[in-house]
Amino acid sequence: MDWEQLELNPRIIAAVKRASLKSVKDILSLSGPDLQRLTHLSKTDVQHLHTVVAVAYRKTPPITALQLYRGEHPSLEQGRLLSLSCPVLDALLRGGLPLCGITELAGESAAGKTQFGLQLCLSVQYPQDYGGLGSGAVYICTEDSFPIKRLRQLTSQLSRLRPEVPQAVSRGISFTDNIYIEHTADLGALQTCISQRLPILLSRGLVRLIVIDSVAALFRAEFQAGEAAERARHLLALSSTLHRLSHSYCTPVLCINQVTDVIDGSNPGRCDYGLVDSKVLPALGMAWANQVMVRLMLRRLEGQIRKGDQDSAPRRLEVVFAPHLPQASCLCGVWLEGVRGIAEEDPSIQFQTSI
Amino acid sequence: MQRPVASFPLAPSLKVKLINAGFQTTNDLVDLRPLQLSKEVGITHEEAVEVLQTLRCDSQTAQERASGGSFTALQLLQQEQTLGTIVTFCSELDSVLGGGLPVGKTTEICGAPGIGKTQLCIQLAVDVQIPVCFGGLGGQAVYIDTEGSFLIQRAVDIAQAAVDHCSLLADDAEQRKSLKEFTVEKILSNLFLIRCHDYVELLAEIYLLPEFLAQHPDVRLVVIDSIAFPFRHDFEDLSQRTRLLNGLAQQLIQMATKHSVAVVLTNQMTTKVWRGQSKLVPALGESWGHAATQRLILHWEGSKRLASLYKSPSQMEATVQYQITGEGFRDVPHSGPSRSHDDDSCNDTSGNYCKRPRVEGTQS
Repeated sequence: MDWEQLELNPRIIAAVKRASLKSVKDILSLSGPDLQRLTHLSKTDVQHLHTVVAVAYRKTPPITALQLYRGEHPSLEQGRLLSLSCPVLDALLRGGLPLCGITELAGESAAGKTQFGLQLCLSVQYPQDYGGLGSGAVYICTEDSFPIKRLRQLTSQLSRLRPEVPQAVSRGISFTDNIYIEHTADLGALQTCISQRLPILLSRGLVRLIVIDSVAALFRAEFQAGEAAERARHLLALSSTLHRLSHSYCTPVLCINQVTDVIDGSNPGRCDYGLVDSKVLPALGMAWANQVMVRLMLRRLEGQIRKGDQDSAPRRLEVVFAPHLPQASCLCGVWLEGVRGIAEEDPSIQFQTSI
Repeated sequence: MQRPVASFPLAPSLKVKLINAGFQTTNDLVDLRPLQLSKEVGITHEEAVEVLQTLRCDSQTAQERASGGSFTALQLLQQEQTLGTIVTFCSELDSVLGGGLPVGKTTEICGAPGIGKTQLCIQLAVDVQIPVCFGGLGGQAVYIDTEGSFLIQRAVDIAQAAVDHCSLLADDAEQRKSLKEFTVEKILSNLFLIRCHDYVELLAEIYLLPEFLAQHPDVRLVVIDSIAFPFRHDFEDLSQRTRLLNGLAQQLIQMATKHSVAVVLTNQMTTKVWRGQSKLVPALGESWGHAATQRLILHWEGSKRLASLYKSPSQMEATVQYQITGEGFRDVPHSGPSRSHDDDSCNDTSGNYCKRPRVEGTQS
């Protein structure tokens, strides 16, 4: 830190230098009396120093919620959302994924989590008018290899999923070229990928969506039951990197998560988020849950649904918590063209057995 | 006290020595002992005593005028009553808190993710603005968001619901008049947002807050959502964290009394394993438990949301049920359990729409 840049009396600057305080962080982390002791400055001088340094460090002065609402603040792109390419699902999420913050999608295997991830990778590439962000996506696989065949299928069926988008618009986007796929087999590789490769892609504007499929796989594989504290530390490190990326580039982060079985009997250490009837809860415990802004759960239900000549197992997408959404859910199905929510009384959908 | 040293009736040579040593105002000198002063400035002990006596004589008269003097308990009681409280729109919680969230005190809200901490904070930031003729404080709010979970859509929902609620209650001319002023836009313009990305930014904002509060004397509520998030990231040295948090708590308590604002902090929960049993406890460690005057813990019990007053100097410990609806933080209707869903077509004219029974939604 170059102290001369600050609007301070040279006497104070000299005292700060003498006390070998290197950064703004040092000064802000010291209380008034401590700073007085170190610099031998008076109380008034120290107060002045704190204020000047704090002003210099502050990035944005306070804004009113009205300014934010009217979008008068370009650095905080609030109100814009990433569409899921389906009006029913978007309605459940009030428009789609928030741009800043971690969204988690938890579910059992074969619930259809990866399908959501893939669909988002495509919908992020549409221009803003069509619910996208006009940019690519990074897909980080930690479990299986990337389902490239399914991606091709989805790409070829896009006109069926998004009939409202004009042909000229979708033909201008080469969808498969804008998805960057990373395979990380262990935690170290994941950290390197997130902290070194992602910032490059993000700063060049090549991607505006990060999908991690899944966070649970590595953490569950690498840590034993007794290493909870160590696991929590790594989870925090990962989530704080993701947070920083998400907020500084205004990029949604979708983390796919596994679930754990609920063991019967009351356990005061378990938080069930009001999901009393659920037999499973999202994995990774409280340490991870605290980092998640929007938590969604996907369940596979019994029975079959039919649309035209296609069959699918019905699924339920449920909002477990989100700062702007009520706890609600909707049915959805996985079709050839992608995931679609089912509006109540949709005539094109037939329920084959009771759900 | 900011009176410059130069203005005191002291010998000029003494004044020069004091100023050269960095003592510029009374504030710099009042806490010193004579011996310290004589060492620091390089004057004799007698001179130091003389300086301090001159200063104290002069500042005593000033202090009697200012608020620094001592009060009787009756005066304090009266003062506290004039400060008022912020209603939460959940009448049961209000009565547990003694009429609402007390102004001039710090309150910590702890809870698991998704339990409704942020909802309660946004609700309070709206409710603090309810006009005086409706029994509110007509104040403003500062909202320090460290998690990025303040979503404007939600604030608009809650503000709209509060406006609707008041318009149902309005029955005399004064209330109808003030209602014209009480609009969603007005509420949003009285809600100041500060976004902090890490703990250093949070510390910086706390240093700047007293000045902001002095410029905006109508602010009655400061929310920090959450205190835990920045302090649980990137901290290797836990003793430094404790030190910083203690300093922060001290600053906030000072701010709460000096500027008569209610300070609300939210905290996360963490799993603590003790004798083979795990349980959920508020994060940030044992010593942080002393930081706030009141501590409210929000938790689940089955599908019910409960709020427990855990620590309070003036109120009984108690647990009440609440719910989060489309409109915000509300009472639970007494006829059976309920859950908020998209049945928010609120057209009840009785004024207490929060108490109507709700239809059980899709998830049962």
